[in-house]
Amino acid sequence: MQVLWENIVITMLAFGILYWLLNKFAFGKLFEVMEKRRELVLGQLEEAKQTREQANAYVEEQKEALSQARQEAYEIIEQSKQSSSKQARDLLEQAKQDATRLKNEAIRDIENERSKAVEALRGEIGTFSVNIASKLIEREVENNPEEQEKLVNQYLKEVGSKS
Amino acid sequence: MHDAPIIMLGGFHLDLSAVMMLLVSMLIVFVICRLAVANLSVENPSKMQNFMEWVVEFVQGIVGSTMSLKKGRPFISLGLTLILFIFVSNLLGLPLGVITEAHKPEMVFGKVIEATATLKDGEHAHILWWKSPTADIAVTAGLALVVFILMNYLGIKNNRKHYFKHYLEPFPIFLPLNIIENVSKPIALAIRLFANIFAGEVLIAVIIKMGYLGIPFMGIWQGFSIFVGALQAYIFTILTMVYISQYAIHEEEH
Repeated sequence: MQVLWENIVITMLAFGILYWLLNKFAFGKLFEVMEKRRELVLGQLEEAKQTREQANAYVEEQKEALSQARQEAYEIIEQSKQSSSKQARDLLEQAKQDATRLKNEAIRDIENERSKAVEALRGEIGTFSVNIASKLIEREVENNPEEQEKLVNQYLKEVGSKS
Repeated sequence: MHDAPIIMLGGFHLDLSAVMMLLVSMLIVFVICRLAVANLSVENPSKMQNFMEWVVEFVQGIVGSTMSLKKGRPFISLGLTLILFIFVSNLLGLPLGVITEAHKPEMVFGKVIEATATLKDGEHAHILWWKSPTADIAVTAGLALVVFILMNYLGIKNNRKHYFKHYLEPFPIFLPLNIIENVSKPIALAIRLFANIFAGEVLIAVIIKMGYLGIPFMGIWQGFSIFVGALQAYIFTILTMVYISQYAIHEEEH
């Protein structure tokens, strides 16, 4: 085994050339791209972090909005329940009043009609009875002059005492 | 023992095998990296890009464990080149070896291969063409020398006061010891890498001699060699970073 100093020199030259070639044609670009990739990853991480924060805030907001909406809905239902029951009560009240009023009116009408009918009936009965009475009296007076006399006298008496 | 296909070119020894394997390693590493960055996308990375980014992050981890990542940023591409180059180099010798048997002086590019130049009749030489480039101590020494020069240069350039002061610590008498420590670092780097890979290839050669009986051992050893290759690439890279941070980076804490 011999050690050739020429080989040592050749190796050093070869290594130097390889180093220069790689530096010029490969590593520069590679390091640049790696740096870019590192920045990209960092940027993406940062972006992801921001997005997550935003998403969290958004979810929080949504939760709040949801609970608010729920609250509002509850209030509306509550309100409508109250108003509907009030309305029902009002309606009922109104209906009751109407019914009472109608009933009263009907009663009054009935009363009126009845009294009118009674009045009319009474008048008619009076006329009939006078007719019947006058007819009866006519017949009596024709048949019995004494009685006639008596009756006339009685009338005259009555008229006299009254006036 | 296998011989290297060395030819004389203008007074220099030229190890054709080492040159070829270095070129192959470089080509593979470069092609992988080019493929990985061919369709770079910020939003939708391809599998190759993901793989390459994993490698880069791995090296960033290595650099970050030895020095602050801010100061270590310029060394990431160095670490990447080192780990990819050494890992690919370590694996190259595993799937196959190309060995030619020469019985007479062989000619390549019009030059005679040194190991075959003196062959007489009946003698033969095995020329090893395809192997792991890191199974050659000269290659690992070259890599270690790059690290050695780099760490001392960076130490003197960026951290002059502490760099020179550290040679005299804790006492000036330790100067020779500190110099030995400095020099031993690249030697240890070179020998560790070479020995691991070379031993792996030697054992592969031995297992091949076992014939069909060696097939299960070969499977186990190939798998282990891949592990060793990755481990050695990792060790080389992390030690480089440790040395650079030791010499060149002065942390404020100490």
